[in-house]
Amino acid sequence: MTTTAQYGAIAVEPFGDSAVMVTIPHPDQEIRRAGIVAFRERLLAHRPHGVVDVVSGLESLLVEFDPLQTALPHVEYAARLVARWAPAPAVDSGGARAARSFVIPVVFDEENGPDLLSVAEELGVTPDGVVEAIAGSTFTIALLGAAMAPMMDGLKVPRPVRRRAEPRTDVAPGAVMIAGTNAIIQPFPGPTGWRVVGRTPHTVVDISRPDPVSFGTGDTVRFVPVGPDEAAAMDAGFLTPVEESA
Amino acid sequence: MTTVTLDITSTGWVTTFQDLGRHGTEARGVPTGGAADQHSASVANLLVGNPRGATLIENLGGELALVPDTDVLLAVTGTPARVTVGGAGADAWTPLVVPAGQEVRVRADMDLGTRTYLAVNGTLTAPALLGSTAPDARMGFGQAVVPGTPVLLETDFHGFRRRHFEPPLFRLPVPVPRFDDGPWTVDVVPTHGIHEIHGIRELIEDSTYVVTPRSNHVGLRLAGPVLHPDSATEIVSHGVPVGALQIPHADELIVLGRYRSLTAGYPIVGVASRACLPLLGQAGPGRRLRFRWVDRETSLRRYARREAEVRALQHAAVDAFTASGITAPLPIS
Repeated sequence: MTTTAQYGAIAVEPFGDSAVMVTIPHPDQEIRRAGIVAFRERLLAHRPHGVVDVVSGLESLLVEFDPLQTALPHVEYAARLVARWAPAPAVDSGGARAARSFVIPVVFDEENGPDLLSVAEELGVTPDGVVEAIAGSTFTIALLGAAMAPMMDGLKVPRPVRRRAEPRTDVAPGAVMIAGTNAIIQPFPGPTGWRVVGRTPHTVVDISRPDPVSFGTGDTVRFVPVGPDEAAAMDAGFLTPVEESA
Repeated sequence: MTTVTLDITSTGWVTTFQDLGRHGTEARGVPTGGAADQHSASVANLLVGNPRGATLIENLGGELALVPDTDVLLAVTGTPARVTVGGAGADAWTPLVVPAGQEVRVRADMDLGTRTYLAVNGTLTAPALLGSTAPDARMGFGQAVVPGTPVLLETDFHGFRRRHFEPPLFRLPVPVPRFDDGPWTVDVVPTHGIHEIHGIRELIEDSTYVVTPRSNHVGLRLAGPVLHPDSATEIVSHGVPVGALQIPHADELIVLGRYRSLTAGYPIVGVASRACLPLLGQAGPGRRLRFRWVDRETSLRRYARREAEVRALQHAAVDAFTASGITAPLPIS
Protein backbone atom coordinates (compact mmCIF):
# COMPACT_ATOMS: atom_id res chain seq x y z
CA MET A 1 0.00 0.00 0.00
CA THR A 2 1.15 3.50 -0.75
CA THR A 3 0.83 4.63 2.85
CA THR A 4 3.94 2.68 3.78
CA ALA A 5 6.03 4.37 1.09
CA GLN A 6 9.43 5.56 2.24
CA TYR A 7 9.97 9.19 1.42
CA GLY A 8 12.53 10.55 3.85
CA ALA A 9 12.51 14.19 4.89
CA ILE A 10 9.83 16.74 4.02
CA ALA A 11 10.19 20.42 3.13
CA VAL A 12 7.79 22.85 4.81
CA GLU A 13 7.40 26.32 3.39
CA PRO A 14 5.20 29.15 4.71
CA PHE A 15 2.46 30.16 2.26
CA GLY A 16 0.74 33.35 3.41
CA ASP A 17 -0.31 33.97 7.00
CA SER A 18 -2.24 30.75 7.61
CA ALA A 19 -0.91 27.92 5.45
CA VAL A 20 2.24 25.94 4.75
CA MET A 21 3.22 24.00 1.65
CA VAL A 22 4.69 20.55 2.29
CA THR A 23 6.76 18.85 -0.40
CA ILE A 24 9.14 15.92 -0.52
CA PRO A 25 12.53 16.92 -1.90
CA HIS A 26 13.44 13.63 -3.58
CA PRO A 27 14.93 13.25 -7.08
CA ASP A 28 12.55 10.41 -7.98
CA GLN A 29 9.16 11.70 -9.11
CA GLU A 30 7.42 8.46 -8.18
CA ILE A 31 8.67 8.70 -4.60
CA ARG A 32 7.67 12.37 -4.39
CA ARG A 33 4.13 11.53 -5.52
CA ALA A 34 3.61 8.36 -3.48
CA GLY A 35 5.33 10.00 -0.51
CA ILE A 36 3.03 13.01 -0.43
CA VAL A 37 0.00 10.69 -0.47
CA ALA A 38 1.45 8.77 2.47
CA PHE A 39 2.22 12.00 4.31
CA ARG A 40 -1.30 13.34 3.73
CA GLU A 41 -2.90 10.18 5.11
CA ARG A 42 -0.72 10.33 8.20
CA LEU A 43 -1.35 14.02 8.78
CA LEU A 44 -5.11 13.61 8.41
CA ALA A 45 -5.10 10.61 10.75
CA HIS A 46 -3.33 12.68 13.42
CA ARG A 47 -4.80 16.14 12.68
CA PRO A 48 -2.46 18.50 14.53
CA HIS A 49 -4.31 21.10 16.61
CA GLY A 50 -5.45 24.09 14.57
CA VAL A 51 -5.12 22.40 11.16
CA VAL A 52 -8.43 23.09 9.42
CA ASP A 53 -8.00 21.56 5.97
CA VAL A 54 -5.52 20.37 3.36
CA VAL A 55 -5.36 20.70 -0.42
CA SER A 56 -3.68 17.88 -2.32
CA GLY A 57 -1.43 18.69 -5.24
CA LEU A 58 0.29 16.09 -7.39
CA GLU A 59 3.54 16.51 -5.46
CA SER A 60 2.57 18.77 -2.59
CA LEU A 61 0.16 19.26 0.27
CA LEU A 62 -1.14 22.68 1.26
CA VAL A 63 -1.85 22.59 4.99
CA GLU A 64 -4.28 25.30 6.07
CA PHE A 65 -4.47 26.32 9.73
CA ASP A 66 -6.38 28.73 11.94
CA PRO A 67 -3.74 31.25 13.03
CA LEU A 68 -5.71 32.12 16.16
CA GLN A 69 -5.59 28.50 17.35
CA THR A 70 -2.05 27.64 16.40
CA ALA A 71 0.99 29.25 14.82
CA LEU A 72 3.32 28.59 11.93
CA PRO A 73 6.18 27.07 13.99
CA HIS A 74 3.77 24.63 15.69
CA VAL A 75 2.30 23.49 12.39
CA GLU A 76 5.74 23.07 10.87
CA TYR A 77 6.94 21.09 13.89
CA ALA A 78 3.83 18.89 13.89
CA ALA A 79 4.24 18.19 10.18
CA ARG A 80 7.85 17.10 10.69
CA LEU A 81 6.87 14.92 13.63
CA VAL A 82 4.09 13.27 11.64
CA ALA A 83 6.45 12.64 8.73
CA ARG A 84 9.15 11.18 10.94
CA TRP A 85 7.31 9.33 13.66
CA ALA A 86 3.67 8.77 12.94
CA PRO A 87 2.93 5.25 11.79
CA ALA A 88 0.82 4.80 8.70
CA PRO A 89 -2.84 4.90 9.71
CA ALA A 90 -3.91 1.37 10.53
CA VAL A 91 -7.05 0.16 8.85
CA ASP A 92 -8.55 -1.14 12.10
CA SER A 93 -7.70 1.90 14.24
CA GLY A 94 -10.64 3.88 12.96
CA GLY A 95 -8.18 6.49 11.72
CA ALA A 96 -8.57 5.35 8.15
CA ARG A 97 -11.15 3.29 6.36
CA ALA A 98 -10.44 0.06 4.56
CA ALA A 99 -9.60 0.48 0.87
CA ARG A 100 -12.49 -0.46 -1.40
CA SER A 101 -12.35 -1.65 -4.96
CA PHE A 102 -14.32 -0.45 -7.95
CA VAL A 103 -14.94 -2.10 -11.29
CA ILE A 104 -16.13 0.58 -13.67
CA PRO A 105 -17.71 -0.16 -17.08
CA VAL A 106 -16.48 2.20 -19.79
CA VAL A 107 -17.45 2.66 -23.43
CA PHE A 108 -14.20 3.15 -25.34
CA ASP A 109 -15.11 4.32 -28.84
CA GLU A 110 -14.56 7.35 -31.02
CA GLU A 111 -17.76 9.05 -29.98
CA ASN A 112 -17.10 8.74 -26.25
CA GLY A 113 -13.31 8.86 -26.51
CA PRO A 114 -12.39 11.52 -29.06
CA ASP A 115 -8.71 11.45 -28.03
CA LEU A 116 -8.35 7.67 -28.27
CA LEU A 117 -6.85 7.79 -31.76
CA SER A 118 -4.33 10.56 -31.03
CA VAL A 119 -3.21 8.82 -27.82
CA ALA A 120 -2.71 5.60 -29.82
CA GLU A 121 -0.60 7.47 -32.39
CA GLU A 122 1.44 9.12 -29.65
CA LEU A 123 2.15 5.75 -28.00
CA GLY A 124 2.70 3.94 -31.30
CA VAL A 125 -0.07 1.40 -30.71
CA THR A 126 -3.58 0.82 -32.03
CA PRO A 127 -6.64 2.34 -30.27
CA ASP A 128 -7.43 -1.21 -29.09
CA GLY A 129 -3.92 -1.32 -27.62
CA VAL A 130 -4.68 1.82 -25.60
CA VAL A 131 -7.92 0.27 -24.33
CA GLU A 132 -6.05 -2.92 -23.40
CA ALA A 133 -3.45 -0.88 -21.50
CA ILE A 134 -6.16 0.93 -19.55
CA ALA A 135 -8.18 -2.24 -18.89
CA GLY A 136 -5.00 -4.05 -17.83
CA SER A 137 -4.04 -1.41 -15.27
CA THR A 138 -5.10 -1.38 -11.64
CA PHE A 139 -5.46 2.21 -10.52
CA THR A 140 -5.24 3.65 -7.01
CA ILE A 141 -7.12 6.85 -6.17
CA ALA A 142 -4.41 9.29 -5.12
CA LEU A 143 -6.58 12.33 -4.52
CA LEU A 144 -9.99 13.83 -5.11
CA GLY A 145 -9.53 16.64 -7.62
CA ALA A 146 -11.81 19.51 -8.54
CA ALA A 147 -15.47 18.77 -7.68
CA MET A 148 -14.42 15.45 -6.06
CA ALA A 149 -13.15 13.93 -9.33
CA PRO A 150 -11.24 10.70 -8.55
CA MET A 151 -7.62 11.20 -9.70
CA MET A 152 -5.83 7.88 -10.04
CA ASP A 153 -2.28 6.59 -10.41
CA GLY A 154 -1.24 3.40 -12.10
CA LEU A 155 -1.75 3.67 -15.87
CA LYS A 156 0.62 1.15 -17.44
CA VAL A 157 1.79 2.71 -20.69
CA PRO A 158 5.23 2.71 -22.38
CA ARG A 159 5.62 6.44 -21.68
CA PRO A 160 3.56 9.17 -20.00
CA VAL A 161 0.66 10.50 -22.05
CA ARG A 162 0.78 14.21 -22.87
CA ARG A 163 -2.02 16.60 -21.95
CA ARG A 164 -3.95 18.34 -24.72
CA ALA A 165 -2.30 21.50 -26.06
CA GLU A 166 -5.75 23.08 -26.45
CA PRO A 167 -8.02 22.16 -23.55
CA ARG A 168 -11.48 20.88 -24.45
CA THR A 169 -14.14 23.33 -23.32
CA ASP A 170 -17.08 21.06 -22.60
CA VAL A 171 -16.54 17.45 -21.60
CA ALA A 172 -19.53 15.35 -20.54
CA PRO A 173 -19.84 13.95 -17.03
CA GLY A 174 -18.59 10.36 -16.82
CA ALA A 175 -15.79 11.01 -19.33
CA VAL A 176 -12.78 8.80 -18.56
CA MET A 177 -9.59 10.73 -19.18
CA ILE A 178 -5.85 10.08 -19.02
CA ALA A 179 -2.66 12.14 -18.81
CA GLY A 180 0.83 11.16 -17.67
CA THR A 181 0.32 7.83 -15.93
CA ASN A 182 -2.88 9.07 -14.33
CA ALA A 183 -6.57 8.67 -15.02
CA ILE A 184 -9.52 10.77 -13.87
CA ILE A 185 -13.29 10.76 -14.34
CA GLN A 186 -15.08 14.01 -15.15
CA PRO A 187 -17.89 14.42 -12.59
CA PHE A 188 -19.66 17.46 -14.11
CA PRO A 189 -19.73 19.05 -17.55
CA GLY A 190 -16.76 21.35 -17.96
CA PRO A 191 -13.38 22.08 -19.49
CA THR A 192 -10.34 19.82 -19.28
CA GLY A 193 -6.82 19.47 -20.61
CA TRP A 194 -6.86 15.69 -20.07
CA ARG A 195 -7.18 13.27 -23.02
CA VAL A 196 -10.72 11.92 -23.25
CA VAL A 197 -10.64 8.17 -24.07
CA GLY A 198 -14.04 6.83 -22.98
CA ARG A 199 -17.12 7.32 -20.88
CA THR A 200 -18.76 5.43 -18.04
CA PRO A 201 -22.55 5.31 -17.75
CA HIS A 202 -22.23 5.64 -13.95
CA THR A 203 -22.81 8.84 -11.99
CA VAL A 204 -19.55 9.35 -10.10
CA VAL A 205 -20.62 12.39 -8.04
CA ASP A 206 -24.24 12.89 -6.95
CA ILE A 207 -24.82 16.09 -4.97
CA SER A 208 -28.28 14.97 -3.84
CA ARG A 209 -26.64 12.39 -1.56
CA PRO A 210 -25.39 13.25 1.93
CA ASP A 211 -21.99 12.00 0.77
CA PRO A 212 -21.82 12.75 -2.95
CA VAL A 213 -19.17 10.06 -3.64
CA SER A 214 -18.66 6.44 -2.62
CA PHE A 215 -14.90 6.40 -3.13
CA GLY A 216 -11.93 7.80 -1.26
CA THR A 217 -8.17 7.99 -1.51
CA GLY A 218 -6.45 4.61 -1.44
CA ASP A 219 -9.34 2.80 -3.16
CA THR A 220 -8.51 0.76 -6.26
CA VAL A 221 -10.17 1.01 -9.65
CA ARG A 222 -10.28 -1.23 -12.72
CA PHE A 223 -11.94 -0.20 -15.99
CA VAL A 224 -13.89 -2.78 -17.97
CA PRO A 225 -14.64 -2.08 -21.65
CA VAL A 226 -18.31 -2.41 -22.61
CA GLY A 227 -20.22 -1.67 -25.81
CA PRO A 228 -22.49 1.38 -26.08
CA ASP A 229 -25.66 -0.76 -26.17
CA GLU A 230 -24.53 -2.76 -23.16
CA ALA A 231 -23.82 0.51 -21.29
CA ALA A 232 -27.22 1.92 -22.21
CA ALA A 233 -28.95 -1.26 -21.01
CA MET A 234 -27.16 -1.19 -17.65
CA ASP A 235 -29.24 1.46 -15.90
CA ALA A 236 -25.90 2.16 -14.21
CA GLY A 237 -26.81 4.90 -11.71
CA PHE A 238 -24.62 5.98 -8.81
CA LEU A 239 -21.16 4.41 -8.75
CA THR A 240 -20.70 2.04 -5.80
CA PRO A 241 -17.83 -0.27 -4.84
CA VAL A 242 -17.67 -3.98 -5.49
CA GLU A 243 -19.28 -5.93 -2.63
CA GLU A 244 -16.69 -7.67 -0.51
CA SER A 245 -17.01 -11.43 -0.94
CA ALA A 246 -16.35 -13.26 2.31
CA MET B 1 -40.68 27.82 16.93
CA THR B 2 -42.61 29.54 14.16
CA THR B 3 -42.37 28.94 10.45
CA VAL B 4 -42.24 32.26 8.65
CA THR B 5 -42.63 32.69 4.91
CA LEU B 6 -40.39 35.29 3.29
CA ASP B 7 -41.97 36.34 0.02
CA ILE B 8 -39.13 37.24 -2.34
CA THR B 9 -40.34 40.23 -4.39
CA SER B 10 -37.07 41.21 -6.07
CA THR B 11 -33.56 39.81 -6.42
CA GLY B 12 -30.28 41.29 -7.62
CA TRP B 13 -27.97 40.08 -10.39
CA VAL B 14 -26.82 37.18 -8.27
CA THR B 15 -28.80 36.36 -5.14
CA THR B 16 -28.09 33.11 -3.29
CA PHE B 17 -28.24 31.36 0.02
CA GLN B 18 -24.85 31.65 1.64
CA ASP B 19 -22.86 30.83 4.76
CA LEU B 20 -19.22 30.89 5.80
CA GLY B 21 -18.36 27.91 3.59
CA ARG B 22 -17.47 24.24 3.87
CA HIS B 23 -15.20 22.81 6.53
CA GLY B 24 -12.73 20.05 5.84
CA THR B 25 -13.82 19.50 2.24
CA GLU B 26 -10.77 20.88 0.46
CA ALA B 27 -9.03 17.58 1.16
CA ARG B 28 -11.77 16.05 -1.02
CA GLY B 29 -11.51 18.50 -3.89
CA VAL B 30 -14.29 20.89 -2.89
CA PRO B 31 -13.17 24.45 -2.18
CA THR B 32 -14.35 26.02 1.07
CA GLY B 33 -16.38 28.62 -0.81
CA GLY B 34 -18.85 30.64 1.22
CA ALA B 35 -19.47 34.36 1.63
CA ALA B 36 -17.02 36.48 -0.36
CA ASP B 37 -17.09 39.01 2.49
CA GLN B 38 -16.93 36.77 5.56
CA HIS B 39 -16.81 39.70 7.95
CA SER B 40 -20.09 41.19 6.75
CA ALA B 41 -21.74 37.77 6.72
CA SER B 42 -20.59 37.00 10.29
CA VAL B 43 -21.70 40.38 11.61
CA ALA B 44 -25.12 40.16 9.91
CA ASN B 45 -25.78 36.90 11.71
CA LEU B 46 -24.53 38.13 15.07
CA LEU B 47 -26.76 41.22 14.80
CA VAL B 48 -29.85 39.01 14.70
CA GLY B 49 -28.74 36.60 17.41
CA ASN B 50 -27.66 33.80 15.08
CA PRO B 51 -24.41 31.85 15.13
CA ARG B 52 -21.90 33.39 12.73
CA GLY B 53 -22.11 30.50 10.29
CA ALA B 54 -25.91 30.49 9.93
CA THR B 55 -27.41 30.53 6.45
CA LEU B 56 -28.18 34.00 5.15
CA ILE B 57 -28.77 35.68 1.79
CA GLU B 58 -25.92 37.17 -0.25
CA ASN B 59 -26.86 39.68 -2.92
CA LEU B 60 -24.72 41.09 -5.71
CA GLY B 61 -26.04 44.08 -7.65
CA GLY B 62 -29.59 45.17 -8.38
CA GLU B 63 -32.16 45.25 -5.60
CA LEU B 64 -33.13 42.58 -3.11
CA ALA B 65 -36.63 42.83 -1.64
CA LEU B 66 -38.74 40.56 0.51
CA VAL B 67 -41.89 40.58 2.63
CA PRO B 68 -42.20 38.41 5.76
CA ASP B 69 -45.64 37.10 6.75
CA THR B 70 -44.76 37.43 10.45
CA ASP B 71 -42.61 39.99 12.32
CA VAL B 72 -38.93 39.11 11.90
CA LEU B 73 -35.63 40.35 13.32
CA LEU B 74 -33.34 41.11 10.40
CA ALA B 75 -30.03 42.83 9.64
CA VAL B 76 -28.35 44.05 6.48
CA THR B 77 -24.58 44.38 6.17
CA GLY B 78 -21.97 44.54 3.42
CA THR B 79 -21.33 47.41 1.07
CA PRO B 80 -23.14 50.68 1.87
CA ALA B 81 -26.73 50.26 0.75
CA ARG B 82 -30.07 52.04 0.79
CA VAL B 83 -32.30 49.99 3.08
CA THR B 84 -36.03 50.66 3.41
CA VAL B 85 -38.71 48.98 5.49
CA GLY B 86 -42.22 49.67 4.26
CA GLY B 87 -40.80 52.51 2.18
CA ALA B 88 -39.14 54.32 5.10
CA GLY B 89 -35.38 54.55 5.34
CA ALA B 90 -33.68 52.16 7.75
CA ASP B 91 -30.13 51.56 8.90
CA ALA B 92 -27.75 48.85 7.80
CA TRP B 93 -25.38 47.17 10.31
CA THR B 94 -28.01 47.12 13.06
CA PRO B 95 -30.86 44.80 14.07
CA LEU B 96 -34.20 45.78 12.46
CA VAL B 97 -37.68 44.56 13.21
CA VAL B 98 -39.57 44.11 9.97
CA PRO B 99 -43.29 43.87 10.74
CA ALA B 100 -45.46 41.28 9.03
CA GLY B 101 -46.49 42.36 5.54
CA GLN B 102 -43.93 45.16 5.25
CA GLU B 103 -41.44 45.02 2.42
CA VAL B 104 -37.72 45.38 3.13
CA ARG B 105 -35.67 46.58 0.18
CA VAL B 106 -31.88 46.66 -0.14
CA ARG B 107 -30.12 48.47 -2.97
CA ALA B 108 -26.33 48.68 -2.76
CA ASP B 109 -24.18 51.57 -3.83
CA MET B 110 -22.27 49.66 -6.49
CA ASP B 111 -19.64 52.39 -6.78
CA LEU B 112 -18.23 51.11 -3.50
CA GLY B 113 -18.54 47.39 -2.80
CA THR B 114 -20.51 44.73 -4.63
CA ARG B 115 -22.23 42.55 -2.06
CA THR B 116 -24.82 42.91 0.67
CA TYR B 117 -25.81 40.33 3.27
CA LEU B 118 -29.24 39.88 4.78
CA ALA B 119 -29.60 37.72 7.89
CA VAL B 120 -32.81 36.88 9.72
CA ASN B 121 -33.10 35.55 13.27
CA GLY B 122 -33.63 31.81 12.99
CA THR B 123 -32.83 29.14 10.45
CA LEU B 124 -33.45 29.68 6.75
CA THR B 125 -34.60 26.49 5.02
CA ALA B 126 -32.06 25.77 2.29
CA PRO B 127 -30.51 22.64 0.79
CA ALA B 128 -27.00 21.79 1.98
CA LEU B 129 -24.05 20.22 0.21
CA LEU B 130 -21.33 18.68 2.37
CA GLY B 131 -22.60 20.44 5.45
CA SER B 132 -22.93 23.92 3.97
CA THR B 133 -25.57 25.95 2.16
CA ALA B 134 -22.96 27.92 0.21
CA PRO B 135 -23.35 27.54 -3.55
CA ASP B 136 -20.79 25.60 -5.57
CA ALA B 137 -21.25 26.35 -9.26
CA ARG B 138 -18.77 23.72 -10.39
CA MET B 139 -20.80 20.98 -8.71
CA GLY B 140 -24.07 22.31 -10.06
CA PHE B 141 -25.17 23.54 -6.62
CA GLY B 142 -26.61 26.93 -7.52
CA GLN B 143 -28.59 27.93 -4.39
CA ALA B 144 -30.26 30.81 -6.22
CA VAL B 145 -32.92 32.77 -4.39
CA VAL B 146 -35.54 33.65 -7.02
CA PRO B 147 -38.49 36.03 -7.04
CA GLY B 148 -41.80 34.28 -6.55
CA THR B 149 -40.33 31.29 -4.74
CA PRO B 150 -40.88 31.87 -1.02
CA VAL B 151 -38.08 31.22 1.45
CA LEU B 152 -39.05 29.53 4.70
CA LEU B 153 -37.63 30.50 8.05
CA GLU B 154 -37.81 28.67 11.39
CA THR B 155 -37.56 31.21 14.18
CA ASP B 156 -38.21 31.71 17.89
CA PHE B 157 -38.58 35.47 17.42
CA HIS B 158 -41.94 36.68 18.58
CA GLY B 159 -41.58 40.33 17.82
CA PHE B 160 -41.43 43.61 19.64
CA ARG B 161 -44.23 46.05 19.87
CA ARG B 162 -42.28 48.91 18.36
CA ARG B 163 -43.01 51.69 15.97
CA HIS B 164 -40.70 52.27 13.11
CA PHE B 165 -39.64 55.81 14.10
CA GLU B 166 -38.54 54.92 17.60
CA PRO B 167 -34.80 54.98 18.35
CA PRO B 168 -32.72 51.96 17.36
CA LEU B 169 -33.39 48.84 19.37
CA PHE B 170 -29.87 48.23 20.50
CA ARG B 171 -26.65 50.15 20.61
CA LEU B 172 -24.11 47.47 19.83
CA PRO B 173 -20.37 47.82 19.20
CA VAL B 174 -20.55 46.98 15.49
CA PRO B 175 -17.28 46.78 13.55
CA VAL B 176 -18.38 48.48 10.32
CA PRO B 177 -15.64 48.36 7.71
CA ARG B 178 -14.76 51.43 5.66
CA PHE B 179 -15.64 51.47 2.00
CA ASP B 180 -13.57 54.28 0.51
CA ASP B 181 -13.98 55.91 -2.86
CA GLY B 182 -10.25 55.92 -3.54
CA PRO B 183 -8.00 52.89 -4.01
CA TRP B 184 -8.36 50.17 -1.39
CA THR B 185 -5.14 49.05 0.28
CA VAL B 186 -4.61 45.31 0.54
CA ASP B 187 -1.88 43.85 2.77
CA VAL B 188 0.04 41.00 1.18
CA VAL B 189 2.47 38.53 2.75
CA PRO B 190 5.20 37.73 0.21
CA THR B 191 5.80 34.10 -0.77
CA HIS B 192 8.74 32.23 -2.21
CA GLY B 193 7.72 33.11 -5.79
CA ILE B 194 8.59 36.76 -5.26
CA HIS B 195 12.28 35.90 -5.54
CA GLU B 196 11.82 34.37 -8.96
CA ILE B 197 10.84 37.64 -10.61
CA HIS B 198 13.36 40.41 -10.26
CA GLY B 199 11.75 43.77 -9.43
CA ILE B 200 8.22 42.45 -8.93
CA ARG B 201 8.09 43.51 -5.27
CA GLU B 202 8.78 47.15 -6.11
CA LEU B 203 6.54 47.13 -9.18
CA ILE B 204 3.49 45.81 -7.32
CA GLU B 205 4.07 48.14 -4.39
CA ASP B 206 4.31 51.21 -6.63
CA SER B 207 1.41 50.44 -8.97
CA THR B 208 -2.36 50.77 -8.85
CA TYR B 209 -4.40 47.86 -10.18
CA VAL B 210 -7.96 47.91 -11.48
CA VAL B 211 -10.44 45.04 -11.11
CA THR B 212 -11.65 43.96 -14.57
CA PRO B 213 -15.13 42.64 -15.47
CA ARG B 214 -13.61 39.19 -16.11
CA SER B 215 -13.47 38.68 -12.34
CA ASN B 216 -15.65 36.17 -10.50
CA HIS B 217 -15.82 34.04 -7.35
CA VAL B 218 -12.78 32.05 -8.51
CA GLY B 219 -10.59 35.10 -8.71
CA LEU B 220 -10.26 38.83 -9.26
CA ARG B 221 -8.48 39.64 -12.51
CA LEU B 222 -6.61 42.91 -12.25
CA ALA B 223 -5.33 45.19 -14.97
CA GLY B 224 -1.97 46.75 -14.18
CA PRO B 225 1.74 46.28 -14.71
CA VAL B 226 3.31 42.86 -14.07
CA LEU B 227 6.61 41.13 -14.78
CA HIS B 228 7.17 37.52 -15.74
CA PRO B 229 9.88 35.08 -14.66
CA ASP B 230 12.84 34.78 -17.04
CA SER B 231 12.72 31.03 -17.27
CA ALA B 232 9.52 29.04 -17.60
CA THR B 233 10.04 26.43 -14.93
CA GLU B 234 7.37 23.77 -15.02
CA ILE B 235 5.30 23.87 -11.88
CA VAL B 236 3.25 20.79 -11.01
CA SER B 237 -0.42 21.27 -10.02
CA HIS B 238 -0.61 22.40 -6.41
CA GLY B 239 -3.04 23.88 -3.91
CA VAL B 240 -3.04 27.59 -3.12
CA PRO B 241 -4.48 29.58 -0.22
CA VAL B 242 -7.39 31.96 -0.69
CA GLY B 243 -5.98 35.39 -1.52
CA ALA B 244 -2.95 34.15 -3.48
CA LEU B 245 -1.54 36.70 -5.95
CA GLN B 246 -0.83 34.85 -9.16
CA ILE B 247 0.78 36.10 -12.35
CA PRO B 248 -0.59 34.24 -15.38
CA HIS B 249 1.09 34.26 -18.81
CA ALA B 250 -1.00 37.27 -19.83
CA ASP B 251 -0.20 40.75 -18.52
CA GLU B 252 -2.53 40.73 -15.54
CA LEU B 253 -2.55 39.94 -11.87
CA ILE B 254 -5.01 37.46 -10.37
CA VAL B 255 -6.11 37.40 -6.74
CA LEU B 256 -7.62 33.98 -6.08
CA GLY B 257 -10.94 33.79 -4.26
CA ARG B 258 -12.71 31.26 -2.07
CA TYR B 259 -13.68 29.04 -5.03
CA ARG B 260 -10.16 28.67 -6.42
CA SER B 261 -8.94 25.29 -7.65
CA LEU B 262 -5.46 23.80 -8.03
CA THR B 263 -3.06 25.89 -10.02
CA ALA B 264 -0.02 25.03 -12.11
CA GLY B 265 2.67 26.85 -13.96
CA TYR B 266 1.94 30.37 -12.73
CA PRO B 267 4.20 32.04 -10.21
CA ILE B 268 2.59 33.13 -6.94
CA VAL B 269 4.26 36.16 -5.43
CA GLY B 270 2.24 36.62 -2.26
CA VAL B 271 -0.93 35.88 -0.33
CA ALA B 272 -3.32 38.61 0.82
CA SER B 273 -3.60 38.96 4.58
CA ARG B 274 -6.58 37.22 6.16
CA ALA B 275 -7.58 40.61 7.53
CA CYS B 276 -8.01 41.93 3.96
CA LEU B 277 -9.92 39.01 2.41
CA PRO B 278 -13.38 40.45 3.27
CA LEU B 279 -12.46 43.70 1.50
CA LEU B 280 -11.27 41.76 -1.57
CA GLY B 281 -14.61 39.94 -1.51
CA GLN B 282 -16.30 43.31 -2.01
CA ALA B 283 -14.14 44.51 -4.91
CA GLY B 284 -15.99 44.80 -8.21
CA PRO B 285 -15.09 45.90 -11.74
CA GLY B 286 -13.46 49.32 -11.79
CA ARG B 287 -12.29 49.12 -8.18
CA ARG B 288 -8.72 50.37 -7.79
CA LEU B 289 -6.45 48.36 -5.50
CA ARG B 290 -3.02 49.04 -4.04
CA PHE B 291 -0.90 46.37 -2.47
CA ARG B 292 1.28 46.77 0.61
CA TRP B 293 3.82 44.10 1.56
CA VAL B 294 3.62 43.10 5.21
CA ASP B 295 5.25 40.39 7.25
CA ARG B 296 3.27 37.49 8.70
CA GLU B 297 3.25 38.92 12.23
CA THR B 298 1.82 42.26 11.15
CA SER B 299 -0.77 40.53 9.03
CA LEU B 300 -1.92 38.30 11.87
CA ARG B 301 -1.92 41.15 14.39
CA ARG B 302 -4.43 43.01 12.20
CA TYR B 303 -6.49 39.86 11.75
CA ALA B 304 -6.52 39.21 15.51
CA ARG B 305 -7.67 42.79 16.15
CA ARG B 306 -10.54 42.41 13.67
CA GLU B 307 -11.47 39.08 15.22
CA ALA B 308 -11.48 40.63 18.72
CA GLU B 309 -13.95 43.27 17.49
CA VAL B 310 -16.26 40.60 16.12
CA ARG B 311 -16.07 38.66 19.39
CA ALA B 312 -16.86 41.81 21.35
CA LEU B 313 -19.95 42.28 19.20
CA GLN B 314 -20.87 38.64 19.70
CA HIS B 315 -20.74 38.99 23.49
CA ALA B 316 -22.64 42.28 23.48
CA ALA B 317 -25.29 40.87 21.15
CA VAL B 318 -25.77 37.74 23.23
CA ASP B 319 -26.08 39.88 26.40
CA ALA B 320 -28.53 42.28 24.79
CA PHE B 321 -30.68 39.56 23.26
CA THR B 322 -30.70 37.48 26.43
CA ALA B 323 -31.54 40.48 28.60
CA SER B 324 -34.39 41.48 26.31
CA GLY B 325 -35.66 37.90 26.09
CA ILE B 326 -35.46 37.88 22.33
CA THR B 327 -36.33 34.22 22.18
CA ALA B 328 -39.45 34.70 24.32
CA PRO B 329 -42.51 36.88 23.65
CA LEU B 330 -41.55 40.34 24.82
CA PRO B 331 -43.94 43.25 24.51
CA ILE B 332 -42.14 46.59 24.53
CA SER B 333 -44.52 49.51 24.72
